[in-house]
This record gives sequence, structure tokens and C-alpha cells, in this order.
Amino acid sequence: MVGGLLTFLRQTLIELGNLLSNLLPPRYFSWQTVIYMSLFSWLMSLLARLLATTAFTIGLLATISWICLAIGVGWALESNKARLFGIPIAPWVSGAILCLFLFGSWGGRWLQPALVAWPLVSFAVIAVPNLLSWDFSLKNPPPAVRQQLALLFCLSLLFSSWFQFYFRIQTWVRNYPSLVADSVENSAFVYRIPGQTIALPAGVTHLTIAEELLREQVDNKPWPSVERWLLNLDGQRQVMRQRVRSQTGRTTSLEDSLWQLDFQPLSNGDGYTLKLWAIWSGPAASPSGYYLEKTCLLMPVNRGGLLPENSPAGYSTTQWASLTCDLETPRLAGHPRGVGARGQV
Amino acid sequence: MPLNDLLSELGIMPLRAIAFQSLLLMVAIVLEAMVLRQQLRLGYRTSMQYAATLNLLATSLGWVAFLAAEAVLPLALRSQIISYVLFNRFYANSWTDVLPVVVVVVAIAAFFFTYWIKLQGLLWLLQLLGQKPIDTTPEAIEVSRRQRYQRARRVQVEEQRSDSPRALAVLQANALSFTAILVLLLLVNQTGVVGW
Repeated sequence: MVGGLLTFLRQTLIELGNLLSNLLPPRYFSWQTVIYMSLFSWLMSLLARLLATTAFTIGLLATISWICLAIGVGWALESNKARLFGIPIAPWVSGAILCLFLFGSWGGRWLQPALVAWPLVSFAVIAVPNLLSWDFSLKNPPPAVRQQLALLFCLSLLFSSWFQFYFRIQTWVRNYPSLVADSVENSAFVYRIPGQTIALPAGVTHLTIAEELLREQVDNKPWPSVERWLLNLDGQRQVMRQRVRSQTGRTTSLEDSLWQLDFQPLSNGDGYTLKLWAIWSGPAASPSGYYLEKTCLLMPVNRGGLLPENSPAGYSTTQWASLTCDLETPRLAGHPRGVGARGQV
Repeated sequence: MPLNDLLSELGIMPLRAIAFQSLLLMVAIVLEAMVLRQQLRLGYRTSMQYAATLNLLATSLGWVAFLAAEAVLPLALRSQIISYVLFNRFYANSWTDVLPVVVVVVAIAAFFFTYWIKLQGLLWLLQLLGQKPIDTTPEAIEVSRRQRYQRARRVQVEEQRSDSPRALAVLQANALSFTAILVLLLLVNQTGVVGW
């Protein structure tokens, strides 16, 4: 019984030893050593944090850990000859790890500087071993290497510019959100991967606000007062624009000045058809621009049921206004009032 | 759907610009390498390397200049640039009338700026490649320093002599690549290949 337990223990120890010898680096000068140094340094920084040492100690240990991780992973990829289309990926991965470390702690919008710096940091990862020897004295590499480094530097600057261009486009879209709602099929620069959910242009919100205002002003009002309201069209347009401006004022963006609200009543039988327009005067895919249209029907109705029993004659003929608006806001090319406002394009 | 979320997070990407620019860069590098090889009597490999380095340098500096200038331009002109990048056309605003003039002036300025950068870049590149590796022993440093001064003086004299064929070669190369790029852009805009 005791002998059985002992053999079991010995077996376990041998197994553990095998496992350890698999984990141990074959030589001291190898990438596994560097990864272990990184792990050790990281654990030490955790320990330092637990012991509440100075921020400098923690930062130094964490920095050493990150740098060892970058070196170790790069070394591992290089020694395993990791290639993507014949290009060694080790410096790019090392550069990515270094960028994560350098910019990841910034918080907020850290991805932008990290991605923009990535090609340049990767170039530094390639260049430093060629330019610096182990004792930190400057090396002078042969001309062929120098030529290659110059080429690589220009290439990484180009990659960095592309990333920066991408982020510039995102800034444009943040400033002018309605641009996303347009088609970029004709562009020679940008491409949108199909299948994305595309936001509605801001004009839809403006039309909804205008509809609410219209409902307050004319819905369920006596018909004569509605007729009077319609006499002062320019004044009502002013009020409508004022309302939209005050309601969207909290989330003001650069594009608000490019939307213009307008409406026009057209007589339709007894009542009117009201056309509400949100007109976009900014950059657009179609040469003549576009506008969004909401159609509302304003009709007089007799409300027989509401009449008092002994009402005087003539009272029963009083008509009330009823407003019904379409939910959809179709997007139409051009300008609702012809070409006058936009000029020739 | 997480993939869809990721895609809409990525938004509009300048993939066409990257594809186009890679294509045009290759055309320009090959053409310029041909001119440099003929005019400066360089080897095939050397001329390709020179042309690639110079074109990449000019392109990336051009990007830096564009990105810096775009940030400080007036709003109306910026929105014209946005319109051109996203929709491949300008739209009607206060700049519409002067835009053709602006485009032509910018194009001519870009040509001479590129020419200057390429010429200067070629000088830098030759300087970078012309140095010999340094011995670290003191005597060797002394000797090599003297040699280098002499060489530098000689190189300066040679440079003055050989400056004009180099300038001419770079000018020809630049003109050729600009013409080719312009023809390609016109063709693409004519046939609507952009709509792929």
C-alpha cells in the first residue's frame, strides 16, 4: 500500500520533470528566456502593486515586461521563419506590441496614434539592430543595407499616411454625419464594405421636429384659424427653422448649416397637401443634390358628434382641421423649387 | 451580429485610394527607373532601387503635406475636398467658380515640388550610399577622415560637374511619370472603371 503510493509519487515527479524540461529553454540565449523574463517582470510588477510601492517601480517593471515581450515574440517568429507572402512579419508584430504598450495606456482614442505610429515603430525595430551594436555604439552598415533601410523608411511613412488618411475620413464623417447616408459608389478613393447598417441623414430628424410643430399649430384647430395661419407662410417657415435649430442645438455639428427646412401648401380639394422639405446643400453623390420630402394632408372635417344639443344655427357648419402625415421621407434628387437655388452643376 | 458591428465600426475605408496609389506608384517607378538607367548609366537593380526610394519619398511627403494643409484650409474648401474624395465630384458652393484655377495651380505646384524633392532625395541617397564603413582604430579613423575630406572635396567638384545631367534626368523621369499618371487618371475617369 505504502509502496504503491511511493511509486505513484515517483511517477508524478518524473512526469513533472518532463513537463519542466519541455518548458525550459534549450539554451539560455533563446527566445523562451526572454519571454520568461517578461513574465517574471510582469509578476514582479503585480507584486509591486500589491505592496503599494512607488508608481515608478511598477511602471519600470511593467515597461521591462512589455519590451521583453516584444523582443521575445519577434525573436520567436523570426527563429520559426514566420513569413506572410515572403515578407518576414516579426518586426511588424514586435512593432504592434510596442505600439500597444506605448499608446494603450492613454485611454480614450488611443487607437489612432497607435495605428499611425505602427509602421514607423516597426521600421525602428528593423533599423535599430542594423544601426546599433550591443554596446550601444553606432554601426555603419554596408551600402546595400543602407539602401534597403531608406526604402523601408519611405514605405513605412507611406503606410502611416494611409492610416492617417483613414482617420481623417472618420473625422469628416463625425463632422458631417449625413455624408454616410449617401452612396460612395463613384468615389476613386474610398470603399464601403457592403452589408453595413447605414444611418439616416439628419434631415429626417429635422422633418420629424417640423411635423411636431405643425401638429401643435394646426391639428384640431378651427378651420378658419388654419386658413389664417397659412396666410403668413414666410413667418411660419421662420418659426419652423427656429424650432429645429433650438431642438438640435444640443448636438450641434458642422453640417447643420447645410440643411435647410422649407414647406409649401398645395390646394387639394377642400383642404391642402403640405410638402415639407429638408434640403441638403452639402456634398452629395448626385450632381444636383438631394432633398427629403414629407407629405402631409391637411383637411377640414365636420365634427358632428361634438355639437351641443341646442346649438344655434350656423354653429354646425364650423369645420375643424385634421392633419395626417406620411411616415416615410423619400429622398429625391434635385431641388424642390427647381434649379434656381443651386445654380448649374 | 458581431461581424456587422465591426464593419460599421470601420466605416468608410480608403481602400480604392490604396489600390490605385499602389498601381500608379508601380507604373511611375518602372518608367522612372528606365529613364534613370538610360540617362545616368546605372545598373538595372540600382536604377529600380533609386526610382522606388525617390517615388516613395515624394509620395509620402505629399501625403504629409496634404494632410497638414487639409486641416488648416477654410471650411468651404475643405468640404469641396470631402466631396471630391467621397463622391468624385465637386459641388456648388462659394468656391465653385475658382476651383478649376485652384486645381491647375495645385497640380503645377505639385509637379515642381515633386521634382525638387526627387532631386534632393537623389542627392541625399547618393550621400547615404557613398560613405565607406569606418574602421574603429584611431589611425584608421585619422586616415579615413583625411581620405573622406579629400573624397568629399573631389565629390563636390564632381557633383558640380555632374549636377546638370542628374537634374535633367530627374526632370525627364518626373515629367514622364506625371504624364503617364495623368493619362491613366483621364482614361479611368472616361471609361468609368472607378465604378468597380
